[in-house]
Amino acid sequence: MSSPPPTVTLSINGRTVSVIKGTTIYQAARGIGIEIPIFCYHDRMPPLGACRMCLVHVANAPKLQTSCTLEAAEGMVVRTDTPEARAGQEAILEYLLINHPLDCPICDKGGECPLQDQTYRWGPGASRYTEVKRDFAKPVSLGPVLVLDRERCILCWRCVRFGEIIAGDDALKGFERGFGSNINTPFTLPVASKFIGNTIAICPVGALTSRSYRFVSRPWDNRTTASVCTLCGVGCAVWLDARGDDLTRVRAREAPEINDVWLCDLGFFGHSYLRHEDRLRQPLIRREGRLQSASWDAALDLVASRLRSAGSRVGVLAGPRLTNEDAYVAGRFFRTVVGTAHLDHRTDARAGSVSLDVAWGLRAPIAAIDRADCVVLAGCDVTEEYPVLWLRMKQAVDRGAVVIAVTPKALEVDRDIAHHLVHRYGEGAAVLAGLQAAVAGREPDADLGGVARGRLALAAKTLATAQRPLVLAGALALDAPDGREIWQRLGDLAARWTSTPSVMRGRGNAFGAALAGLLPERGPGGRRLEEAAGTLAAAWGATIAGGRGFSSPGMLEAASRGDLDVLYVLGTDPATDVPDGRQWTAARARVPFVVAHDAFLTATAATADVVLPTLVLPEKDGTVSNIEGRVQRLRRAAPGPGEARGDAVILSGLAARMGHPIAYSAWEEIFDEMRTLIPGLEVGAVLPLAGPGPESQPPDGVRASPRTALHGDPSDPNPVRGADGDLSPEATDAGDSLVLIPGSTLFDQGSMSSRSRAIADLAGAPWALLHPQDAGRLGITDGDPIVLTAADRSIARRALVRPALLPGQVYVPRGYDAAPLNALVDASRPVSRVRVQVLAAVAGAGDEPEGGR
Amino acid sequence: MGEPFLLKYIREADQGEYEAYVSRGGYEGLRKALAMPPEQVTEEVDRSGLRGRGGAGFPTGRKWKFLPKDPAVTKYLVVNADEGEPGTFKDRTLIEGDPHRLIEGIVIGSYAIGARQAFIYLRREFYKGRAILERALAQAYAQGVLGEHVLGSGYDLDIILATGAGAYIAGEETGLLESLEGRRAMPRLKPPFYPAVKGLYMQPTALNNVETLCHVAWILSGGAEWYKAQGSPILVSVSGHVQQPGVYEVPLGTPIREVIALAGGMRPGRTFKACFPGGSSSAILSAAYLDVPMDYDLMKLDVYGSMLGSAALIVMDDTACMIEIVARAVEFYRDESCGKCTPCREGTVWLGQVYERILRGGGQDSDIELLQGIAKGMTGTCFCPLGESVPPAIASSLRFFRSEYDHHIRTGTCDVRAHAEG
Repeated sequence: MSSPPPTVTLSINGRTVSVIKGTTIYQAARGIGIEIPIFCYHDRMPPLGACRMCLVHVANAPKLQTSCTLEAAEGMVVRTDTPEARAGQEAILEYLLINHPLDCPICDKGGECPLQDQTYRWGPGASRYTEVKRDFAKPVSLGPVLVLDRERCILCWRCVRFGEIIAGDDALKGFERGFGSNINTPFTLPVASKFIGNTIAICPVGALTSRSYRFVSRPWDNRTTASVCTLCGVGCAVWLDARGDDLTRVRAREAPEINDVWLCDLGFFGHSYLRHEDRLRQPLIRREGRLQSASWDAALDLVASRLRSAGSRVGVLAGPRLTNEDAYVAGRFFRTVVGTAHLDHRTDARAGSVSLDVAWGLRAPIAAIDRADCVVLAGCDVTEEYPVLWLRMKQAVDRGAVVIAVTPKALEVDRDIAHHLVHRYGEGAAVLAGLQAAVAGREPDADLGGVARGRLALAAKTLATAQRPLVLAGALALDAPDGREIWQRLGDLAARWTSTPSVMRGRGNAFGAALAGLLPERGPGGRRLEEAAGTLAAAWGATIAGGRGFSSPGMLEAASRGDLDVLYVLGTDPATDVPDGRQWTAARARVPFVVAHDAFLTATAATADVVLPTLVLPEKDGTVSNIEGRVQRLRRAAPGPGEARGDAVILSGLAARMGHPIAYSAWEEIFDEMRTLIPGLEVGAVLPLAGPGPESQPPDGVRASPRTALHGDPSDPNPVRGADGDLSPEATDAGDSLVLIPGSTLFDQGSMSSRSRAIADLAGAPWALLHPQDAGRLGITDGDPIVLTAADRSIARRALVRPALLPGQVYVPRGYDAAPLNALVDASRPVSRVRVQVLAAVAGAGDEPEGGR
Repeated sequence: MGEPFLLKYIREADQGEYEAYVSRGGYEGLRKALAMPPEQVTEEVDRSGLRGRGGAGFPTGRKWKFLPKDPAVTKYLVVNADEGEPGTFKDRTLIEGDPHRLIEGIVIGSYAIGARQAFIYLRREFYKGRAILERALAQAYAQGVLGEHVLGSGYDLDIILATGAGAYIAGEETGLLESLEGRRAMPRLKPPFYPAVKGLYMQPTALNNVETLCHVAWILSGGAEWYKAQGSPILVSVSGHVQQPGVYEVPLGTPIREVIALAGGMRPGRTFKACFPGGSSSAILSAAYLDVPMDYDLMKLDVYGSMLGSAALIVMDDTACMIEIVARAVEFYRDESCGKCTPCREGTVWLGQVYERILRGGGQDSDIELLQGIAKGMTGTCFCPLGESVPPAIASSLRFFRSEYDHHIRTGTCDVRAHAEG
């Protein structure tokens, strides 16, 4: 038991208030409903005292005091309403306005502008200023997202401090001084940040605006919906603002347990694909080799008949773009009405990968990240994959936590990483083994995986003294050739603190798909089907298809063998998602009938036999689950285009046609049914992560430790390779080829991101990262167009030449549908090797600046 | 009262050389200090009554006593050599003329507070001073005054010479620390960032002025009693309409009239009109105040309402237009405002615009009230002393020379020169 914190008692405007010692006058006043105007103060950052707006009168003080910086003291007598305090506030507002353009009628901020509001409330009413106002060139474009108006800026420094204190990216800075002071990026270059949308949100004037929202709407014309962002896996709470049928903007909704008050730029700007003209509006049926518009009835009749005849020979590749209810209905429909056992949502996992043997997600509350004293990032590129979690880690770092990154590609948050162990792809396990040994007191006697032994020893020293470590394993580790051993090493390491590593895998609502049972042999709640079959049969009034279910790679393999008659794809794009594109191509070529639910004509949909236009998540009601297993309410913010329908509605239509109606009035009814099968399911509840792995094993079952999981899934048709990081047989004849590191990036150009203009612009041309040493040897300079070739397949990308990886490798992010990474991957080998060449100059290509982007 | 000593060797051509400095008794104070426990050195400085010569006049010994005694805590001594107050040039004189005195003072001060590293933050424009200091520092290292085992003792000290980037605000102690750490010079919030508690790199830091540390060298050399007997000398930078502008050493409390006499008096045929006694941040005094003693406490008295500041006496004779003078001072603060806080950033630019308009002949009857209003809005509302430095010149010029303002506003012209020559 800790004793209650000491308090102090003071008086504000004659009212007595007791507050915890350390509380500022501003906070104390706010606590009892006394409003004090502020501009520079933001409650997520330490006080600055720059704007001087919050001046108050304190008895016996020689002058007015800034209430945001002054700590309450015992017996203090404060007044916010004396003539002196009022005069001070008026003076500051008059100063702030002398150089402000007062262009409120055309300013995006008008109507929700603190400067406007406070001027009405506290301002002098009229200005004595008759001189010429300060003049800045405007607007200034600072990249694909941010537009700066320096005349409106009141230099509160919030945006600068956000970059210094919250994001740690120093994206915006102050330049010049005095009345010439202005916020900018160095050399007015495009802003380099993944979080710049937050600066727009906290700007107390209309100085920082977003390109996508400029002049689009007035705040009072927006209809606001509380919902959840589903673009990564964090599940940030958002406000979705719409005007008419159009989503106008996305704002952070305060959620202390998740995103606090922040979002990443994918969340802010990644939703404009909703109204893109490419959205599918009508069902499409392939006739005479071409996809042609069709009625829903025709499309559903056709699909129902093919499903009926295929039965257990149907493979269901579901993805992260379904609600929990959609996923649940899909599980029920395919397991009972269709009668197949082959359902999986993990389309991007490599065959034989340990990713397929473990439950995905974070095994600690998101809110606990900032309390960790040591974060081990094993192949987890946190800012690219779960950016808002980085903001929590940054807070932990600021409180003294150390970050140890064991990764084949340096993370961009390098300056906050105490031990950055960048290793050769495929040798992460060796680095972890060395780290583990060093923690146990056996210092490494050689460099491991390209990491100097001294650096390992230093990292181990830190790790050995950690009290509350957080161990996170990402796709770069788990899907690496030695991923299985990495997982085992991380498990052993975490066991020192009786903790378990987290599987940082899964985007969107992957966690809800797992919860709903879109996994081989798993039912709702992640229960093993063989156990749950009885309960489910009773609940669903039908028998559950038995037999071993294929995992996603298994389904492709089976399809290629001719063992499946229908591939049913919902909310995912396997043609670009599966690790090795040839596997999809082979499966598609052999399987007679492919159905795709999607919002756009993706690479998968383009080759499908029937394409059913669906609503996307911001157009749906229901629930979604995030990476920590938290169930959140998703609310429809805008209608879908044309005849697009929700996935569950489509499946209900099929069920009815197949003679086994599955009908629900609304999402709530589905959710209620799910609650009878999934203990603890509630909106707001944090449920255990569903999926294979120790947690969901039956108590009397074989407790599969990560070590026993080495044997892999016996039903997986793909050979499971050993855990020894076996890079042969090619390693000997490597020649001029480079080891391919399959990566990912926050801003890419997938089916949705390429149609959200800001994201497509932020992503830029598809790129591949090379070490300067290799680039030099290959005659490649930064920005060159290059061709990456593996066997008979090649893609064109732009070279990014940085020493962010060790030589001999090339890092290629997925997510660029026009130049897909999976064209290069050979899943039959532990690592893929690619040849890299400069794209020869072609006559007529002269519009490209030489050697530059 | 003893002989002036601060400037005693300033004109010796070889005073910047180690051998010459030692031959004139240099580094004796340091030897004495190293033979004493550090607390006793602080005590000696405290007993001397030395007050900081940077402008605030805070007792130096007391300042050092604020630092934690715990030897495990890293402490720094930082020399504020960013002399930028208009009219002040005494530190430059000391740096260029007696650099080893400064080094000696730094080592003594660092020893007293237990710092192992000291930083000199030198004004960017002091190119000559920088070359001289670099040479003197190299000599001090070569002679064992710096580095490991200072003068054979168990004490180690390094001095790092850093230069600013040309901002007046970097002379404010916390702004200086920001700049020294590599950031934009903007003042820090006090509390919690009192340098003695959280200073350079968030470690306890003693910040001392160049002249202050030169005094320290003399105090340790001659002893606190000897020093006090000298009448607490102070260097006054005299500039403006005197016959021999320059740095003069006078006992604290010397009346303005006597300092002007030392500087050769007024130019022939001209009469004293006004002065800034402590740089452009101090309130202007008129001829009626020539007998005000140049002292930290007395000048602040209500009857004078000014301050000694950095002891920069800027003298103006009857040819000076007070509107132009104040406008020039306002322009300086406008250009040097760091931009952090609203009243300083916006108030200075507004004041500048009004003065410019008055001088252009566009003055209006309401302008006096406006100037007073803007100045009032800046009084007690600014983040740091920079913005607070502007209102005194305006208020005092209006107090003594209101008729000049009225003439400018009424006629759009200046009659000062005509009066002076007529």
